[in-house]
Amino acid sequence: MRLIDLLRGPMHQTGTKEGCGEGECGACTVLVDGQAVNSCLYPALEVEGKQITTIEGLMDSHNTLSIIQQAFVDTGAIQCGFCTPGMILSTKALLDKHPEPSEDEIRSALLGNLCRCTGYVQIIQAVQHAAENLKGKS
Amino acid sequence: MRKFDYFKPQSLDEVWSLKQKFPSAKYIAGGTDLMVAIKNRELLPPALISLRSLPELSGIEDQAVIGAGARIGAAVTISEILHHPILNKRFPILRDAAQRMGSVQIRNVATIGGNLCNCSPCADMAAVLLVLEARVRLQSPVSQREIPVHALFSGPGVSCLDSDEVLTDILLNPPLPQTQTAFFKKGRVKMDLAIASVAMLLNLEGNRCRRARLAAGSVAPIPLRLYDLEKLLDGADIQPELILEAQKLAEKSVAPISDIRSTAEYRRHIIGIYVRRGLEQILVERSQT
Repeated sequence: MRLIDLLRGPMHQTGTKEGCGEGECGACTVLVDGQAVNSCLYPALEVEGKQITTIEGLMDSHNTLSIIQQAFVDTGAIQCGFCTPGMILSTKALLDKHPEPSEDEIRSALLGNLCRCTGYVQIIQAVQHAAENLKGKS
Repeated sequence: MRKFDYFKPQSLDEVWSLKQKFPSAKYIAGGTDLMVAIKNRELLPPALISLRSLPELSGIEDQAVIGAGARIGAAVTISEILHHPILNKRFPILRDAAQRMGSVQIRNVATIGGNLCNCSPCADMAAVLLVLEARVRLQSPVSQREIPVHALFSGPGVSCLDSDEVLTDILLNPPLPQTQTAFFKKGRVKMDLAIASVAMLLNLEGNRCRRARLAAGSVAPIPLRLYDLEKLLDGADIQPELILEAQKLAEKSVAPISDIRSTAEYRRHIIGIYVRRGLEQILVERSQT
């Protein structure tokens, strides 16, 4: 059983999407101890003792979107939305370690997340926007 | 996806007893190759034995203090290698290959041992370990052996490992002074398997090459040392005419095939380009030091 099966099945957390099932598209990206991984390749039993963050984990208890999520909304980086949870979690993994990434660093960090709709421009802008807003917050 | 039993041994001793109980179980480390093969039904193991929690396979030891090289545990992830400051300083070619391997998500779980044992001719870490002349340690319930990395690869997807053997460590020699390295990889897109790759290591005195080691990926059934090129360059002055000769010889030294990713002709062409580019780049870097 893979981590994605565990999340979408018995745990009913369907925000994580299966795109390719082969670790190429990144739609299934979740964070394990803060690191982005493809949950379609991650054996479910390996999560023992680890902290998993899914897209559902980014909203607060009042259903308010996190800063990164809001940035994606504000820059029009969401079209069909299928790649979005993975994109946002990869973004979170990046910004948690590199709060002021260059455009090249953003592109490298998102290399494992494919989008068929947007052409990536608004997504890069969303990451830059989120970085700005997170800076303001802290 | 079909179900399989999954075991998480905490020591090599546990691994041996599990393998004895389940002889057709397969070892899994990062799983970035194995899980894809299972999904595509190329492999249908009844059980998996995870190597991720084994202390014997973990850790990076820089051995400069004792005048030696380094030891890298087979279960060390590509991300760990990419971000290790001492490895980056002493063996920058490891970082060059690591950063071109897959994506962040892949690198966070893929292991250097797994990359080698999968025995793909495209294996990014294989070409650089070949030019570093690394050795690997293999262990089984009854034995331990150390072999040069090139001896690991028997054929595409086929290693020399016995069915219960585990690759436990990668051992690097201390880098010689005045070592320059280069690594190039061509994929259809940035996050792709290599359609052609070149790793090179030169020890230069001025423009004279004291020692050359070159390897190519994705252009033969196994990651390939380019011995003919090394003979050409060993002891020679690296001049523009020799660089062009090396480029032509490189094209003749590989045996690429055409597949869904690329054609044999293009792969051959790229190998020549990368050999030339690598030599030129190393000369420029040398002149700047």
